Parts: sequence; structure tokens; C-alpha cells
Amino acid sequence: MYLAIKEIKHEKLRYGMIIAMIALISWLIFILTGLAQGLGNQNTAAIDSWNFKSIALNKDADVNLRQSLITSEQISALHLTKKETLLGQASVVAKHKKMKNTSANFIGLEKNGFIAKDIKNFPTKSGDVLLDDSFKRSGLKKGSKIKLNSEGKTFTVIGFVDDAKINISPVIYGTLSDWQSLRNVPENFKASAVASQKKGFEANDLSTYSKQKLIDNLPGYEAQNATFGLMIGFLLVISLIIMGVFQYIITIQKLANFAVLRAQGIPSSFLVKNTISQAFLLGVIGLVLGTLLTFICSLAIPSSVPLKFEPLAMLLVGFLLLIAAILGSLVPIRTILKVDPANAIGG
Amino acid sequence: MEAIELKNINKYYGKGTSKVHVLKDVSFKAEKGEFVLILGPSGSGKSTFLTIAGILQKPTSGDVLINGTNTRNMPMNSKEKLRLNKIGFVLQSHNLVPYLTVSEQFELVDKVKNTENLSQKELEKLLESLEISNLISKYPNELSGGQMQRAAIARALYANPEIILADEPTAALDTPRVKEVGNLLSNLAHRQNKAVITVTHDLRLLDQADRVYDLNDGKLNER
Repeated sequence: MYLAIKEIKHEKLRYGMIIAMIALISWLIFILTGLAQGLGNQNTAAIDSWNFKSIALNKDADVNLRQSLITSEQISALHLTKKETLLGQASVVAKHKKMKNTSANFIGLEKNGFIAKDIKNFPTKSGDVLLDDSFKRSGLKKGSKIKLNSEGKTFTVIGFVDDAKINISPVIYGTLSDWQSLRNVPENFKASAVASQKKGFEANDLSTYSKQKLIDNLPGYEAQNATFGLMIGFLLVISLIIMGVFQYIITIQKLANFAVLRAQGIPSSFLVKNTISQAFLLGVIGLVLGTLLTFICSLAIPSSVPLKFEPLAMLLVGFLLLIAAILGSLVPIRTILKVDPANAIGG
Repeated sequence: MEAIELKNINKYYGKGTSKVHVLKDVSFKAEKGEFVLILGPSGSGKSTFLTIAGILQKPTSGDVLINGTNTRNMPMNSKEKLRLNKIGFVLQSHNLVPYLTVSEQFELVDKVKNTENLSQKELEKLLESLEISNLISKYPNELSGGQMQRAAIARALYANPEIILADEPTAALDTPRVKEVGNLLSNLAHRQNKAVITVTHDLRLLDQADRVYDLNDGKLNER
């Protein structure tokens, strides 16, 4: 570490540029990771907040809550307990003079079901709705009257829920009876799904899926995650290549020094350790600066941009970047070991 | 026992028609307390001689003995250890690490070898004798050629080696400084009992040397 620190201190411009490059790459990766996490969260936030382990949908629904309908006969055959609850999903357009028309997911729940019980101020009577807090930013408040779809009925806003989104669209919570009228289905269709707190919930002629399976089958969710994953992966590989190339060029520039040091008997292991520890040091400083940049940037980015910084994901990405920086420093190790100390003599 | 001995050294570079015989059956020995000069023009094999004597490269044939130990089959790390502990190099230029101050050059030696180096008092005395006491916080690029050379000599002596191998140590110096460096090398041999071997084409060092060799076309002959 001795030579590493001394060299960085003396060659401020050269190493400052490498640190700046690592900081910019980490900034970009952190923002992309934040966006991936944010968008992922907007796809699944509401479902994540529901405390269920399995969900039964219509067999023909293609694991899609929106496409599923369950009849009263199917429900009767299930012998539901307190560990199960009915829920209905309908696509709606929310209308209010203060805001532009907004596409939303209406989620109808049994008011005594385990999901509704976990939601503070869940509506108990038809015509009351609880909205995702994004509606608050659009100008709605408690007591506001909104219309859903082209129905003549007016719904009263009785409160807001933090972070309630499915598939990027905000969620509107209401009663199951309101779901029935909004979904415009015959009387014998009672819900879209049955959610259960049991892992192995069995539901006769319905298909049962885990929470993760339901999330993975949300339209576009996996493709979006794969896209971000690929971008972040490519960036990590590119940073590994850039670090390797930089370290190699710097090593080539220092070959005369290495030759002299080796001629003087400085062990090659000492030089190798210094090269690796220098990469580690540059990586850590770059990452700290990248984190600071990300933090400043997150303050300036509008709240409509779905950024979410999960500490664990950020730590993992930061760790991978540090590994890339260290791996990059291994590229010139062979060159250092092959430096001919005899080159120090003569001229 | 000889501090350093070269036995029947031959060194070839290249292959086939471009093969060059650089050192031709060279035998040489130097004892502690001797200041030996190897004189030769450019291309005579001086640098090759020094790199082989300093176990920086292997001869094609022949043996190099340091304090009686044959280095022929020594692994790389043992050679590094031997160079660090027993041999001090005074090179033409660039033998100071450019991003370390003069005092940090000594610190670096302490990092890899923390015994038998000069004490702080001995180092101060050495720096005073080299007239560079006031330059210890300077970087190499802030020193003149002469100052750099003297700092390099101090760096080589700091590890308290038994053998000093100097490569054109007076190349960047004016005549009065040549005399000073000559006296210093001579004193190292005579007062500190070190084997000092200097390769040079600078005839101004002749007076101070105990023995002088001529290296011409790869052949070494004592005058």
C-alpha cells in the first residue's frame, strides 16, 4: 500500500482521472440500478405489501390477475378460511377536474379479509376508495370526489396509501361490490382471485401460484428486469475492460521504475501487492465519489422518476465494481513479473 | 573469501547469424575493501558485465559467486533477497523512484528490509557527507543531475550492502564532483570495507581505483 498511496498523492492528475472515471461509471451504474429497483418496485409494490403466500386464479387467465374471473360456485367449493381472502382487479380510468385522466388498477377486497385488515383506513362501504399517494401529488385530497371509467357513480376519497402500484399504474382500493360493478361482470362472478396465507393452498379447478410467480408474470416485468440486468452487467464488464486497459497502460509507463526497483531487490510480490492495493484504493475512492454523486443527483431528480435505492442492491453493485477494479489490476501483473531488472542497467 | 567472483563467464545475445558473443570467458574477483574500476568504451559489454555480476541476468555459461555462494540455480526470490541485502546499485539515472521524496526512498527500503539498514545517525552523516541533507523532502525531478546521483548513492548505501555495483556513476557530473564521487566510492571500499566495482568510461576515476580492468570486445584484462 505504501507505494500505492505515495504514487496517487504525487500523480494527482493521472490518478484523479482514473478515480473520476470510476466515479462516473459507478454513478451511472448506481442510477441504472436505482431505476431498475424503482421501476421494479412500481410493478410490484402493492402485491409485495399483501401478506399472502399463494394465489388461485382462473386456469385460463395465463397467470394474469387482470384476466382472471372466479365464479361463486368455484368459491363455494373451496371452503375458505380466515387465511384466504377474495380480491378483484379491474383496469379503470380515474377522472377529476384537478388532474388529467389517470389509468389505474382498481383492487376490490373483502373488508374483513387479511389483506384489507393490513391496509390502514380500508373502505368499509361501497363508494369509498383509498388511493395511491401519487394521486395526492395530482391535487386530490381526502373528501375529493372522483369518477371511475364512464360510470355515473361518484367515489369518495377517504385516504391515501403509500407506494401502492401494480404494473407502474397507481392502485385504487375499494370494496368487492364496487369491483363487480366496475368490472361489469355478471352477478355470479365474485372475484378475480383467492389469495391465501397458506403456502400449499389447493383450489380444485383453479390454478394456484406463488407470490413470486404472480409477480414474474406481470406484463413486461421480466423483460424490464432482464433489460436493466443486461445493461448493468455490460457496464460492469466494460468497467472491468477499461480498468484493465488503464492499469496496463500505467504499468507499461512504469516499467523502467519497476526494473530499477527489482534491480534493487524490491521483491516482485511487494510490487504486485502494491499494484492490487492501488486498484483497490482507486476503486474505493471512485465508489465513494460515485455514491456522493448519486446522492446529490437523487435530490435533483423529479419525484416522478421512479428511483429507488435499496442499500443491499447498491452494496452488491458497488462490491462488483470493486471486484472489476481489482480484476482489472491483475491484467498487468504478468508484465510486472516479467520485467527484466537488467533493463535498469546501461543507457 | 571474495565478496564477488565471476568464473569463466560467457554471454551470447541473439540466435543464428545475429548471435553476438558479448562476454568472452570473463573471470573476475573482488574482495571487500577494494575499489575496482572496469573501463571500456560503449558496446564493450560493460552493462552486461554489471547485470551478470549483480545477478540481474544469467550468463550463458559460467558461475557467479556472492560471498562464496553460487547463484546459478538460485530461485528468483532468493536472488531478490540477495540483491536487497548484499548488493547496492548506483545506476546512471532513474534509480530513484520518481514519486518518492529523497527521505521516502529510504523509507521504501525499510518497508521491505527492516534490519541492518543504516541507523538514523549514520544516514544523517552520509547525507551530510554527500551534501544533500537539505534535500530530503525533494522529489527526484526537483534535483539537479549531480544531486540526483548523490541521492542515488545514498539510497544504495542505506541498505548497508557489502558489494557496490556502480554503472557510470559520474556520467552526469562535472570534474570537481567526479573527484568527490571517486573519493566517496574509494572511502566506501577502504573505510567501510565494501567491495566497490564501477563500470565506466570516465578516465577521471583512474587515480582512486585500487585495480583497473579493461573490457574490450567482451574480453576483460587487468591493467
